[in-house]
This record gives sequence, C-alpha cells and structure tokens, in this order.
Amino acid sequence: MVVGEITQQRNLIIIGGGPGGYSAAIRGAQLGLSVTLIEQANLGGVCLNKGCIPSKVFTHAASKRAEIFHVSNLGIGSGDDTFNLTKLLSYKDEVIRGLRLGVENLCKANKIEVIQGKATFLAVNKIGVENGHQFDIFEFDQVILATGSTPVMSKWVTDKGNRVLLPHEIFTLEETPEHLIVYGQDYIALEVASSFAAFGTKVTILFDQNTSQHFDESILKELNRLFKRRKITIYKDIQNITTKESDFSVKVSFKTNKDTDEVIEGSYLFVSGSRKPNLEPLGISRIGLHKSEAGFISVNEKMQSSIPSIYAIGDVTEGPSLAVKAIKQGKVVVESIAGFKPEVDLTFIPHVAHTIPPAVSVGLTEQMAKETGLNVRISQFSLAGNGYASISGKKDGFIKVISDADTEIINGIHMIGEGAVEMSGSFVQLLEMAAKEEDIKFPLYAHPGFSEGLLEAVEGLIGQAIHSAPDKKKDLQTV
Amino acid sequence: MLEVKLHDIGEGMTEGEIIHYLVKVGDTVKTDQPLVEVQTDKMVAELTSPCSGVIKEIIIEAGETVHVGTSLIYIEADDKSSKKEHVVQPKVEKVTLKQNVQPKNVLTTTSITSFNRVLAAPYTRKIAREHDINIEDVKASDPSGRVTEEDVYRFINRNQTSEQPEVVSNQNSVTTDSSNVTPDEIPFKGIRKKIAEKMTKSLFTIPHVTHFDEINMTNLFKLREEMKATGESVSVSAFLVKALVICLKDFPIFNAELDEENSRILLKKNYHIGMATNTESGLIVPVIHDADKKSIKDIHKDVKGLTERAISGKLQPFEMQNSTFTVSNVGPLGSTGATPIINYPETALIAFHKTKKQPIVNDQNEIVIGHIMTLSMAFDHRVADGATAVAFTNRLASLIEQPHKLMMEMI
Repeated sequence: MVVGEITQQRNLIIIGGGPGGYSAAIRGAQLGLSVTLIEQANLGGVCLNKGCIPSKVFTHAASKRAEIFHVSNLGIGSGDDTFNLTKLLSYKDEVIRGLRLGVENLCKANKIEVIQGKATFLAVNKIGVENGHQFDIFEFDQVILATGSTPVMSKWVTDKGNRVLLPHEIFTLEETPEHLIVYGQDYIALEVASSFAAFGTKVTILFDQNTSQHFDESILKELNRLFKRRKITIYKDIQNITTKESDFSVKVSFKTNKDTDEVIEGSYLFVSGSRKPNLEPLGISRIGLHKSEAGFISVNEKMQSSIPSIYAIGDVTEGPSLAVKAIKQGKVVVESIAGFKPEVDLTFIPHVAHTIPPAVSVGLTEQMAKETGLNVRISQFSLAGNGYASISGKKDGFIKVISDADTEIINGIHMIGEGAVEMSGSFVQLLEMAAKEEDIKFPLYAHPGFSEGLLEAVEGLIGQAIHSAPDKKKDLQTV
Repeated sequence: MLEVKLHDIGEGMTEGEIIHYLVKVGDTVKTDQPLVEVQTDKMVAELTSPCSGVIKEIIIEAGETVHVGTSLIYIEADDKSSKKEHVVQPKVEKVTLKQNVQPKNVLTTTSITSFNRVLAAPYTRKIAREHDINIEDVKASDPSGRVTEEDVYRFINRNQTSEQPEVVSNQNSVTTDSSNVTPDEIPFKGIRKKIAEKMTKSLFTIPHVTHFDEINMTNLFKLREEMKATGESVSVSAFLVKALVICLKDFPIFNAELDEENSRILLKKNYHIGMATNTESGLIVPVIHDADKKSIKDIHKDVKGLTERAISGKLQPFEMQNSTFTVSNVGPLGSTGATPIINYPETALIAFHKTKKQPIVNDQNEIVIGHIMTLSMAFDHRVADGATAVAFTNRLASLIEQPHKLMMEMI
C-alpha cells in the first residue's frame, strides 16, 4: 500500500452504493451538489445484488409455479410444473445485471463520480480509499455513511458449515433442497419457507417464542393455515435449539411446546439471523463517532451523527434494516444538507412479506391498538367475498382495518392476499393523510377488483360490507 | 475522582480546541476556578472546576481539538459537597436520548402504551416544517385532532401577531410558490453571535453617552515625518494609545469597572488597551497589555503584531482578554463620528475617525492647512459625567497637539 501524498478535495462523499447511498447521490446531483460515491463491490448494494432483488426473483418464481394448476384450469397448458433451478439462477443474474446497469447509467447521467474501493477514515474530515495497490486520500466537507449491514448467524448455531444458511446465501443455492428447515418468523424466513415449499421442497418451520412484532397476528395465523395446507410442518414456541451439521445434512434438536425433545434432519437449515452494521472497516472508532448501545451510529432527525459533518443512513443506523428506510433517509439527508427541511417518519413503514399469498402490515396492529386504550374498531373482510379474487383463483386472505371509533380515523391496515404489496401503496397514503372511514368509503373503486376489498373492509367497521354475512355482534346503532 | 469533560458551552458546539491549561497536575483548585481555555468557532471559553480538590491528571494535551463529551482532566475532590453533577452530559448523549423517546419507533417496540402518530397530511406537515413549527404543537380545529393547512397558518399567524397583515398576505405566495420567497441565510453563530450577545448586554446595561471632539494632528504628523527621516517609523495609533494611557492615569474613572453587586467602582491599576479590529469573521478586540509600562515603540510593535494575528485568526485567547479601556481606530476606513458601544464591563471607549485636511486658524490668526481628526468617546453615565469626559478628551487633545508633552510623561 503506497500512501499518496496528495489529498484530493471533495464536497459530498457518500460511502456505500446501496439503495440508500445511490438514492442520496442522485438526489444530491439533482440538487446541484457535487457528489462522490464510493462502493467497494457493486452498485445497488446488498439489496440489489444479494437481498431484496434476488429474493424477490425467487418469491416471484414460486408464486408463478403455485399458479400452474390454476392456469391449467383456465385451459392454458397442461399443468406441467417442472422446475429448473439453474435457469432461475441465470434469470436472477440477468435481472440483477439489468438493474445494476440501470443504476450505473443513472449515476453516470447525473455526473456522479463513482469510485471503486474500500473507504477508511484517516481523520474527521479525511478518508482513504483503497483499491488494490492504489490508495487515494480525500478530504470532504460532508460524508454520508451508507455502508449497510451484514447478516450475523444466531448465537445458538455453534457449528456453521455449508448447511446452515443466512439470507444472502440461500438464494445462491445450486440445488433445490430436499428438506429445508426454516427458523424464524420474520419476513425473510416466511418468504423462504413459502417459496421453497412452492418449488417442491419439503419445508419445516420452527418458531421460537418471539412472535413477530411487525405483522398483525391474524396475518401470521392465516399464513400458518395456508402453510399447513401446503403440508409445511410448523413447530411453535420451541426452545433450546441446537444444531449439528454433517456432510449431507443438518440435524436440529429442540424442545417442543409440549415439552418433548425433538430432532429433525434436513438438507439445509435457514436462519435469518440478526444484522450487524458494517462499521469496523471504516475505522469510525478512530474518530470518536458516537454509537448506540447496539452498535449503530447515533443520528439526529437530520441523520447527522455526533460529528456534524458526518451523516449516516440505512442499516448503519437504528431501526428496521429495510431498503425502504435507507432510500427515504438517503433523500432526506441530502435535501437537508442542501438546506431544505425534509423529514423521515417511519411510523407507517409498510411491513411486507412476499409469501404466497403476499402479506402487508401498516400502522397499528390489533394487539397494539388494544394496548393503546383507544376505542378500537376492527373489521376483517375475507377475499372469498371479492369477485376478482374468485376470478383469479386467489380467494385466500383478507383485508383488515383498524380504526378509532371516536374519531373514525384509520390507524392500521393489514392484508394477506393477492395484490397485497401493490395495495399497500393505498394503505400508506391513507394513513399518512390521516384518513377517516368516510375518506375510504366515498371514492369509487374499479369493479371487479381487489381494491373493492379495502372498501368493504372499511364498510365492515360498522357492519355494512355488502359481500359479508351480517355479524350479529356488530352494533348497527353506531351508524 | 471527578472527570471534567468538555461540555457544550455555546450554541451547537460540538468540538473545541484546548488552548491551554490554567492549572497543572498537583495544583490545588477551588470550585469554579478556571481550569482550561477552550476555543470554538473563534470564541474562547473557560471551563471551571466542578469541585475543590487536586488536579490528578491532564488527559488531553493543549493544542488538541476534541469533541464534546471528551474527558479532559481528573480531579481528586477533597470536598464531599462537591457538585458531582457538574460533569456535563456530552451532547451526543442527548441525541440518543432523543431517539429513545421518539414516538416514531412505535412499530418496532414491543410494549406500547401509546400510539403517537401525526394526524396531518404530508403537505400540511411540510408547511409546518418550513416554518420551523412542530406540527404536534398545532391545535386542530377538527375535534378528531386532524391538523389542516388552515390550522398551521392560523398557528403561524398567532405566533406573529405583530406582523399579522404581512403574514396573511404571504399566505398565498407560500401556498403557491414557497421556493421564491425564501431569503438567503447567514448562520447566526460563532463570533457573530458572540458579538451580538456582548453588544446587547452592553447597551442594555450601560446608559451610554457619546461626546465628540476634534484633535489637530498637524504637529504629530510633523513629528512622525521627522522620525521617519531618521529611520524610525511609528504609527499614529501607537502615539494615541500612549497618550490615552497618560490620560487614563489622570482620569482613572475611565479605566474602571462598575461592580454594581457590591456597590463599588473598581479603578483598575493595569492599563490594558483593547484595539477593536475588523476581521473577515467580525469584530475582534486584541489587547495591548500593560500599555503604561511600554514605550511608544513597543506599543507600535504590539499594535502591528496583534492586528496581523487578529486578521489571520491566530490570536491566543489571552491576547483578547482583560482589556480595561477600548480604542476603535476607524480612521483608516473613513467616517467623521459614531456612537460606539462600550466594551462591557469597561467604562469608556474612544473611536478615532478619519483625519482630514482642513483650514484652521493658528495662533498668529492665520488661516493654514491643518490635519484634523474627529473622535467619539462613549462613556458609562452611571460612573462618569460629561464634564469629566470633556476634561479627558481635552487632555488627550493637548498631548497629541503638542506631542513634546508626551516626553514629559515618559517614565
């Protein structure tokens, strides 16, 4: 490593070209800032190259395969559901390549200086960027840390070989596992279980006692029901889990909720694990940047760290490790640097699982609503009552609305069912607009269409959903 | 053992340079005794001791720049009643604290007792943000608590009742095109803010009187020419400072400080003359210490050095402290008069204005060309009266107009 003597001057440097970093870079360029983006691997980061995008290629393929029988019922094809993983993997690479190229071209078109290399802090206002034998030194006015996070194996996995897989590893598997054991009930675990089951893998799910805090319980219940129908074995409330890996399998031992000891053998074990911010290589301890107890960079509402010229966004900061958060923070931090007054509010961040069918939770869950002491009103409209769900053969699932009976303000919307991810766009808008029940009941909805389900769920709050049998308990006097 | 940390001593301060320590290891210190001088944004502050005790260790060396929250000194406290809480929380902890209480993390928290969402549309929130209003402070006209644009504008208007008509007329332009009405911003901090604080304090505390006079500089200029011819070049300022010190000795009331609390006026025995200096970042007042003990030549050297360092921002903190009287030599810039603000807590300040060639009548009743400089002297009317001030400037004028008199005052 040769240390160059010349320090190059830059205005705004962004370290990390993931969705947060490149969004920040492009927004910065749009606002007339001179931006330098440093990425050690590929633009797009974990999200595009190893996370969101590859996993969604898998969930998409899985949902298509699950449709084969429905499609043959429509008179198309013969119900041939042969599955070629190799082909899917090259499709995945193609999608990633295309999207990555898109990001690269956008950076070019926005005249963003993209530097390949590994950044390290040399001083509070100086970084070094190492790329092979080259080492450049940059002095900056501001820097945004967007280096993301890395999955970390859960502590109880003492013996990690090739058979225990973390999120970024499972979508590179070159064989369809015969028996996949999935541990956890966060969205990644649910997606993995759902997709591989659709590919024909035997799936066993292990839930420990930590229930997911993001999804409404009714969604997890419905998913469980659908998983069981697809012959997925589920063990709930398990304890004392241990693993033992051999060349061709992994044995997982645990205590069931009936207090019996169980050992199951699978070809692979999938664990979502936890996520650790990528901070060590940056050498931030050298410059005295303040970190939270959990090891994330502490930032204020402007994403500013304890050192005013250093900002941080995305997975290196507290909060959910979701690209949606990083993207928003990326734009906000740059707008703030440019002198505007933007804001990030994660209250209504949509929690999404691309399961079959997909699931979304936004805002208050039923459990949370009851704990708040609000005068809670709840309605759940089954998609079995939706005309378009019948047409498309997607009658599983429901839309659930939670409102405050005193003000009629909607506080939470949850959905499991076809189109949930796209529908979530309406949900977040309604919640951000502080919509009342009438704000949903008044508009006209395409018929037949899934969106009618939202209308009927809201009408159901006062027992007026047309395609739902009257609920005797609902008090119609409140109309 | 007590830790003395660098705490936030100014608006939004995040780091500071340790200029020098006023104590050393082994020193016994008393509560509130200054320990260390810290420079931030060109303002200098002293950190005081939180307790009485003995300095055990100095952790950070002078000259280093450290962040708020960094431990600087360890003190072995000898007094049980020491103010332990004086160890001020570093600013960064405030940031995390804020995060912890943020209601916005509701979705990721397991035990929720209240659901704290903002009941306003994103556009309404934007209007509030752009007016630096916390949307949650705005009272909703809708009983369900939903805050509308109108509510926000009403809130803005109520908070600016004095400018109501203007705000109302702004309303339309804000809703239609908010980007065009944003004025340019200059951050109000650092030295600018410090100046503002000092000036406000001075003007609100001291009943100022300003009196004007003029001095015939012709003889002094002649003297300077003669000296120049012999290779000695001394600035006018140096003569003025020397003359001032002589006057201050004759009229000690202007080298004084009013100590209202103890009902007394302190007549200072040191003659530290502040020289108001215009720099790029604002007004800075370097100080010629013990001007009474210095020759005109020494003063000349001091003025030159201090001015240069002030302009390049290289003044040491002690070079800006303890002035007893301040001079503002605005002459080189122009002007004929001013009502300057006294450098609190001093009693008086003199501004010297531009020297102009004017027809004057000399002792032989001839009209000749004279070099006339005007001056404005502001003084604290609580401490001194007009007659004394006039006597003071008369004396000053006589010393400058007949510079040989200065000789008589040499020690």
